[in-house]
Amino acid sequence: MAASPFASRSPSVAVTSPNTLRLKASGGTASKPTPMPDQELTEQLNAEVRQKYVKDKKLGEGTYAVVYLGHLRDDPSSFVAIKKIKVNAEYKDGLTMDAIREVKYLQELSHPNVIALHDVFSSKDQNLSLVLEFLPRGDLEMLIKDGDIQYGAADIKAWMGMLARGVWFCHENFVLHRDIKPNNLLVASDGEVKLADFGLARSFADPYLNMTHQVITRWYRPPELLYGARQYSGAVDVWSMGMVFAELLLRVPFVAGNTDLDQTSKICEAFGTPTEDNWPGVTQLPNYIPTDPAHRVPLQGRDFFLRQFPTAGPVGADLLMSMCALDPRKRSTAVQVLRHNWWTMDPQPTRNEDLPRKTGTKKMGEDLSRRGGEIDDGPFKNAARQLDFGAMK
Amino acid sequence: MASKNGISRRDEDEVCPVCKSSRYLNPNMRFLINPECYHKMCESCVDRIFSSGPSSCPVAGCRKTLRKNRFRAQTFEDIGVEREVDIRRRVMHILNRREEEFDSKRAYDDFLEQREEMIANLVCRTDVARTEAQLQRYATENMQSIRANQAIEEEEASSFQARMTLEQEEARLRRQLAREQIENERREIQAGREDMLSRLASGSSADAAAIAREGHKVLLKKSSARRSEEDRIRQKQAALRGSELKRSGLSASADMASSSGLIKGLRKIKTPEPEKPYDPFMGYVPEKRDYYTLQQSYPSVYLDRVKNDTRVAAGGYDLREYYARTMVEAFAGLGCFVEDEVAQRSVA
Amino acid sequence: MIEDDIYRTSSQFRLWSYTRPALASLRTKTNDIASERVRAALQRARPAQQSTTPSAAGTPQPGSDGETKKPEEKQIECLTPEEELILVRYYCEKTLELGETYKPPLPTMVRATAIQYLHRFYLTNSPMTYHPKSIMACALFLATKTDNYYMSLRQFADGIPGETSTDDVISPEFLLMQGLRFTFDVRHPFRGLEGGVMELQAIAQGQAPPAPHIPNQTAQNLLQKLKSIAPPPIPSSSINDRIARAHGTTRETLKTAAQMTDAYFLYTPSQIWLSAFLLADKPLAEFYLDTKLGGPLTETIPDGDAMETDLKNPLYELRTKLFKVLTECSALLGAYTTLSSDPDQMKGLKRIAKKLYHCQNPEKINLKRDSGQPAVAGAADSGQVTSESESERLAKKRKLELEQKARSGASDMFGPELVAERTKQ
Repeated sequence: MAASPFASRSPSVAVTSPNTLRLKASGGTASKPTPMPDQELTEQLNAEVRQKYVKDKKLGEGTYAVVYLGHLRDDPSSFVAIKKIKVNAEYKDGLTMDAIREVKYLQELSHPNVIALHDVFSSKDQNLSLVLEFLPRGDLEMLIKDGDIQYGAADIKAWMGMLARGVWFCHENFVLHRDIKPNNLLVASDGEVKLADFGLARSFADPYLNMTHQVITRWYRPPELLYGARQYSGAVDVWSMGMVFAELLLRVPFVAGNTDLDQTSKICEAFGTPTEDNWPGVTQLPNYIPTDPAHRVPLQGRDFFLRQFPTAGPVGADLLMSMCALDPRKRSTAVQVLRHNWWTMDPQPTRNEDLPRKTGTKKMGEDLSRRGGEIDDGPFKNAARQLDFGAMK
Repeated sequence: MASKNGISRRDEDEVCPVCKSSRYLNPNMRFLINPECYHKMCESCVDRIFSSGPSSCPVAGCRKTLRKNRFRAQTFEDIGVEREVDIRRRVMHILNRREEEFDSKRAYDDFLEQREEMIANLVCRTDVARTEAQLQRYATENMQSIRANQAIEEEEASSFQARMTLEQEEARLRRQLAREQIENERREIQAGREDMLSRLASGSSADAAAIAREGHKVLLKKSSARRSEEDRIRQKQAALRGSELKRSGLSASADMASSSGLIKGLRKIKTPEPEKPYDPFMGYVPEKRDYYTLQQSYPSVYLDRVKNDTRVAAGGYDLREYYARTMVEAFAGLGCFVEDEVAQRSVA
Repeated sequence: MIEDDIYRTSSQFRLWSYTRPALASLRTKTNDIASERVRAALQRARPAQQSTTPSAAGTPQPGSDGETKKPEEKQIECLTPEEELILVRYYCEKTLELGETYKPPLPTMVRATAIQYLHRFYLTNSPMTYHPKSIMACALFLATKTDNYYMSLRQFADGIPGETSTDDVISPEFLLMQGLRFTFDVRHPFRGLEGGVMELQAIAQGQAPPAPHIPNQTAQNLLQKLKSIAPPPIPSSSINDRIARAHGTTRETLKTAAQMTDAYFLYTPSQIWLSAFLLADKPLAEFYLDTKLGGPLTETIPDGDAMETDLKNPLYELRTKLFKVLTECSALLGAYTTLSSDPDQMKGLKRIAKKLYHCQNPEKINLKRDSGQPAVAGAADSGQVTSESESERLAKKRKLELEQKARSGASDMFGPELVAERTKQ
């Protein structure tokens, strides 16, 4: 049948083993709408996708998108989040870059630790709707901040394992996430942590191609980006991952600068001052700021990490240190992170069903409606950052 | 044996088939049976023959080995019924799946039918060996779920008992309350009437009829308020009981064990797998490739400029990532034959 | 093979890979629907048409419509799927040229993505409904966004020769994205070619590791074999020179033939670059494949292992099948010639363009955002909801706009020949 040669990623299709095609062609088999001669084929196909879902209540609304709870028409128990992207009146250049990036990369990435994009369709008013996996249990930031929730090393190991696998899978597919932070790590109903918000993602690894350094929420931004590097690697995400690790251990952000400059100096204070010795070439980076030799902090060693993060244990502290190397070439890659022996040591990571959970209201809606790279208003008002897409080339 | 005048015979001329002594001579005689063969004999015969250990049944032609502790009094007069009830009890003890364990009502009905058939087989002695073997295998394979369901049944039985007692107690309290209430009302009406009378008697200028009306209204209001408050408490109690029941039902279905081949239509339950060592990659094998072996460096004039650029290196740019990408893209999908795979896909 | 599973998860494989028959039937279906709608729309616009173009070309087709109509009315002749395909290919070539006009020229990858967008879009849309000339600039701009070559719309529109407003570029964007089924990722063969060439260079330098399934390879015997392969079609001074030459030729094929043909729909990127490589230097490409999949049957039997008497190349079947597919793909790529360089093809194209002028759906001409309603909803409404006279009025207005557009020469950015043909009317 010519009308439905398209595979679909319906949420009803179970994810099987890794490295196998987890998508079965199911388009148009169940209830094929009768051909509508008043519509072009392309519109018919779009309508077919749109009719697969039913929109329920609104979960949240932001400047960037409205998020609804929805379900499969054929199966009211299979929930999805429908993220309707608003047309940005200020942005005259068509669909915004963050929407394009999110759609482009999520269409390609299919992994248990990456939020699943089931479908995309358009509505009559030319709005884009992303049908996403419904992740009702909030995000890691909520867990970190909630003083009523107790969690331990085994829980952190479980969460970090899921995060590291998600990041590793992105890098394996040559996609940088570029906005890893606790509130972009959403928790599924079964406790699985999923990397979400790909509004700043891009593919990487080609030589001679400049990328923007204005990415990653400041507290999680690595020093090479603060120094304005335009050619970088997966190491940027690993730094963010290290910062999330530290924050999980301390339950407060580890280096939280008020400005980009402040962020740089806080990193130097915490981990040591970058020099040509410990980071060859650093002084040549575009926005490098020389430090007064009198205030130079020596590179922190293992002792520092052990002292600062006693709950991680010596092996955990070692892993964290390898993720926080100032020189990106000395930082662990995502594969190296997962190969660290911390994972196989005691305590074993907590099983998903036993992980601490936030009770009460969920907030997938408001979460998804934020623009990529932005921090919540309110408690973090000072840190809010507007992305300048015009500056990105 | 099941004859119309069985009762009279039992009473008068019942004879022990082993020692031939009769009830007529020995009015306290008690008959016992053993579910191995259901041959009836008197208590003293059982004592005599089996006290020193297992022995074979004294009834001619029956060679079943019997044990004393298995002898018991007969519940039903018809020994056939007795036997069937025993069989039923035993089978149902093993095949004790519960309705909530099945995918559908239909599956549960099929299970009940299957169980009846097995019972009938054993009762009618058809296909006994096969049926017993099935039972045996099922019992060993599903030991855990059988035990769990037995526990649930016991709990249910005892909670049923408890509920009965509770309900009786509640009924008693309700009755008592009602009695007190009637008594109170009676007293209040009395008091109100006295109050009214005294006010009327005090001879104030107020209209006597108005006083009487007012007094009546107050009484009504009081009793209706009390009644609605009691209703509310009662409803709350009922709701609490309901949720308790639901919770016990839930926990029951949660700890069910795996299904066996014998019973179809059971809900799929994940059995907790034995704790495996944690695999950080969850089954993926990182960097494993079939078409090529990735190297740390490749010769390329095009890339020489990057290789020697310290600034690019300081930013973290890593040519190994480029090598990895170009090599995987060189071979990704080489063995995917669209002509075959996509054709299959559209068929499926 | 693990690499194959990686490709299988891509949207290109999941949604945009077809067998030849499926591709043909999809195009026929799209064409059927569009033709029907064009006829219906032109029927509605008939009064307008009579006043502006007195003599419509096209052969009469008697009584295919059940309606009562005047005897002088003629059945509109629509494009065939083949004609549509030629037209789209022409605009794909134009897209490549358009990318060249920018300073600096847009990257090959961006242009190739735009071309694939056009191919994909016109699988479920007809040029009769949406003229490729109005879609191509938008496709190229969308490709700059999706392939990380960001420039502002203003900057992009300014780079197009002739008068093109930002609105002309951006208005079909949503429509285009819908036609692309919101998949923006295109897997190209370019990077794969670089990988293969780098590995060949490593072999030439005696630095190559053995392939995972052929452990008895050594850097030395690989180099020896490379030195002993049949000479290239064009003599070269050294192995490195030979590799570089094959690299260049292949790249050129990938930029042109691979883009303009149906290669992306029918084959995978690795199959495409290897097929192009086979065209460039057959012995070299075959040598390279043999290092991966083992040679023909006789070569791989090692010196007599007694246990495995029937030992053969385990990848033999894959190899056989692959060579068949690569040969097919090579033939497809090799048969390609640019339309504009071939006078015969250009003649055919002019005929198609002329024909299209008469069967362009008048209700879909105006895609601009400022025209009130969005294109999709607007078109549906004009046919069904609004009253008969209203729809006629709208159709007339659109027809007039089309005429004005054609006369004003707003389209001269895409080659003078077609414009000349149009303005003659």
